[in-house]
Amino acid sequence: MRKTIYLNIELCVGCGACVVACMDQNDIYPEKGQASFRRIYKMEEGEFPEANIKYISTGCLHCEDSPCLIGCPTGAITRDETTGAIIVNQELCIGCHSCAISCPFGVPRFNVNGKMEKCNLCLERVEVGLEPACVRVCPTFALTFEPLNKLQETKESKFALNLMTTIPKVGTVR
Amino acid sequence: MKKVERLLKGKIPSPDTGIEIKKSICTICDPTTQCGLDLYVKNGKVIKVEGSKEHPYNMGTLCSKGAALRQYIYSEDRLKTPLKRIGSRGEGRFSPVTWDEALESIAEKFNEVKQNYGPESVVFFAGYTKYFRPYLKRLAHSFGSPNYLTESSTCHQATAMAQKLTFGQPGRPDIKNTKCLLVWSSNPFHTNPGNARAILKGKERGMTLIVVDPRETPTTALADLHLKVRPGTDGALALAMANVIINEKLYDYNFISNYSYGFDDYKDYVREFSPQRGEELTGVSADKIIKAARMYASIKPAAIMPSASPVVHHTNGVQNYRAVFALIGLTGNYDIYGGNLVIPESFIHQPGLFLTKEHEFVQPRQWSEMAPRIGIDRFPVWGEVIDEEAQAMYIPFQIHSEKPYPLKALIGFGMNYRMWPDPKGLLESLKKLDLFVNVDLFMTDTCKYADIVLPACTSVERSELRCYPMGYIIFTQPAIEPLYDSRSDVDIIYSLAEKLGLDDPLFKAGYEATVDWILEPSGITVSELKKHPGGMFVPNPIKISEKKYLNTGFKTSTGKMEFKSSVLEKYEGIPGFEAIPIYRPPKYSRESTPEMAKEYPFVLNTGSRLPMFIHTRTFRLSWTKSLRPNHPSADINPSDASLLGITQDDLIRISTPKDSIIVKANLTQMVQPGVIHMYHGHPDADVNTLFEGDYLDPLSGYPGFKSALCKIEKV
Repeated sequence: MRKTIYLNIELCVGCGACVVACMDQNDIYPEKGQASFRRIYKMEEGEFPEANIKYISTGCLHCEDSPCLIGCPTGAITRDETTGAIIVNQELCIGCHSCAISCPFGVPRFNVNGKMEKCNLCLERVEVGLEPACVRVCPTFALTFEPLNKLQETKESKFALNLMTTIPKVGTVR
Repeated sequence: MKKVERLLKGKIPSPDTGIEIKKSICTICDPTTQCGLDLYVKNGKVIKVEGSKEHPYNMGTLCSKGAALRQYIYSEDRLKTPLKRIGSRGEGRFSPVTWDEALESIAEKFNEVKQNYGPESVVFFAGYTKYFRPYLKRLAHSFGSPNYLTESSTCHQATAMAQKLTFGQPGRPDIKNTKCLLVWSSNPFHTNPGNARAILKGKERGMTLIVVDPRETPTTALADLHLKVRPGTDGALALAMANVIINEKLYDYNFISNYSYGFDDYKDYVREFSPQRGEELTGVSADKIIKAARMYASIKPAAIMPSASPVVHHTNGVQNYRAVFALIGLTGNYDIYGGNLVIPESFIHQPGLFLTKEHEFVQPRQWSEMAPRIGIDRFPVWGEVIDEEAQAMYIPFQIHSEKPYPLKALIGFGMNYRMWPDPKGLLESLKKLDLFVNVDLFMTDTCKYADIVLPACTSVERSELRCYPMGYIIFTQPAIEPLYDSRSDVDIIYSLAEKLGLDDPLFKAGYEATVDWILEPSGITVSELKKHPGGMFVPNPIKISEKKYLNTGFKTSTGKMEFKSSVLEKYEGIPGFEAIPIYRPPKYSRESTPEMAKEYPFVLNTGSRLPMFIHTRTFRLSWTKSLRPNHPSADINPSDASLLGITQDDLIRISTPKDSIIVKANLTQMVQPGVIHMYHGHPDADVNTLFEGDYLDPLSGYPGFKSALCKIEKV
């Protein structure tokens, strides 16, 4: 069954473990000007004493209808049929940045040779039944590798349970 | 791409790729974590690091520091051979020597000092990591020196002191069974993911979460109630909560009347701390103080989760934490399931649900048979309450004063001089020693001052015994050979024992025989442990019962839980030593030193954890550094920054009357207005240099790292 990476935003604490695990898996070294395929963003709302800080771990979303793939003039970007991963063949990449322009999420990055690089869903791991490195490492299980719609089902059932436990309480108050 | 190439690209273990998985543990942070590791090894080299799924602590996960372990193992800064200093101290010029040469010259000098001044003039210091501590303590005492000291002189022991003064022995938060968790100044999401996962589970089953923390953290974000206390005012907050609990009669009358000492005096003192006064002192609204007190006192069972050091890194730290721990007695939550449960430690400060002979092993000679430990004439309560070690903060003072006796030689394992307040002062004192040896992984700034430097290896290159609270035990085996000419700390300790000519049967028997000896009461053996390279559950784990004090009493001199400390009563009249957990503002604060506060209006709070660093241990790794690219930087609230015309990443100068450092400004709501947070120990901007060497809590000797006064200027 096709799976993809989900982030439960409520559980992301911005620790950066996914960012590092990605670099370890893919031999990415910042001192060589390379960047992780995952990044952490922090959002701060409000002011003391009511401030609210949220974190989010981002990476390629491996879109079904991928703007980067459509925009690529050389066919360097393709979809892996088994896993659904959007992958880039660097030998075909001409570094034209079309993918970067078309990607609404800012994912494609260019290495020191000017070729595009991004998350490949840890394709080689997924093929042998392992989860992507970022998912494996996540200490709060915020990142999961699940069949499409699984996260929604989990959320929905939790919501349904909450609803069921809340309604009688409302009833007793009245 | 061919199949094998694809497998290699994905680093997939298989006979085709030649990649094997080897088990180990990560000890970059220590001692309550030690995540299990799956190391992907090819041709004797680690090519990838992953959390071990079978390990019950981390269940396959790691933090950002552990995930960066490969860079830690293969850092270019690793020491490669033993070194002897050829330049001046601090210059960093060394020449390689053999292990024999290095160890023999250390042993010769130690024995010479022993003969001329006594064994106590040789000092044994343990920094990070902690696995070798029992063996180092044994080495010190076997040699005859009482002076085994550790980084716990600024980390955990003051919290232990506050707990021991109150209960005789600490109770751990039973998070799994509690209905209300009061986290007092800890953010396990960035320090101890196991506890963080326990909190998440608790929240799922409806546990109430109250968090006391000056900062905005992922833990406070989950809280039902977040008390944003001003740094250093924890004691006042706890006393104001006690005021509500007592006035509203929410306390445990039975526990107080039968099992406590000094309640009436405590109650009289608590009267002074109305919620309104609490609000003035702490910045937490009276309304929130009342709410928190009611929640904690009326939801049963309730547990307090302390932290190792934030609350005690104040000049009034121990008294503040005593006031907090008094709440556990007040509400009868001591040693009950779901409260603060007393669980015996098995090995290296960790419970593992098995018995050992660790205490007998580490203390082959009683304190009474040795000279007084460093620091206990200045910090006498330490000598009475802390059984493990001497107080390292006093090292520089004793080197200079030579009283009550001179210190002549020091061997540090992972010693970092930046741990001390006024670290430059410590360095100056080290220069006075006849011999200073440091064992480390890397050529650190501390090593540069050593006469002899010895290369240690990482956790994955050695063998170590560890245990976990769920009744799990591991004796790791090296996943790769020690790199270069490095050795494990334990090997170094055992070789040194031999060269010193110590007549110690366990050092003579060797490491594994020692581990068998320590484990003897548990029935677990090294040979059994070796069959389980990833660790194993302890057979026949000991059962932890509740309210053990009913049979044994409390391990205090009154045999009761003490609202008024019978130890401190002996020091009546000495400021700071009050028997009731009095509240006194930090030594340098708006309240204590209003004149100084006019010039230095900000509270300087150092060392609050960032997720990618643990002390200085991952500063040198590009992976962890990339998570906070603007470091060294200080956290400042945007409203303060705007008043001072400071924008993100501007250079700012942080000054105290002692010194100043220049760092980048990191604007964030994580820090409250009026407070500056600076992470400690950075070689380019060491915030500890801003503290005087004697800015210490008179009870514990702990530095007031989390509240001093400073000013900020845009550079």
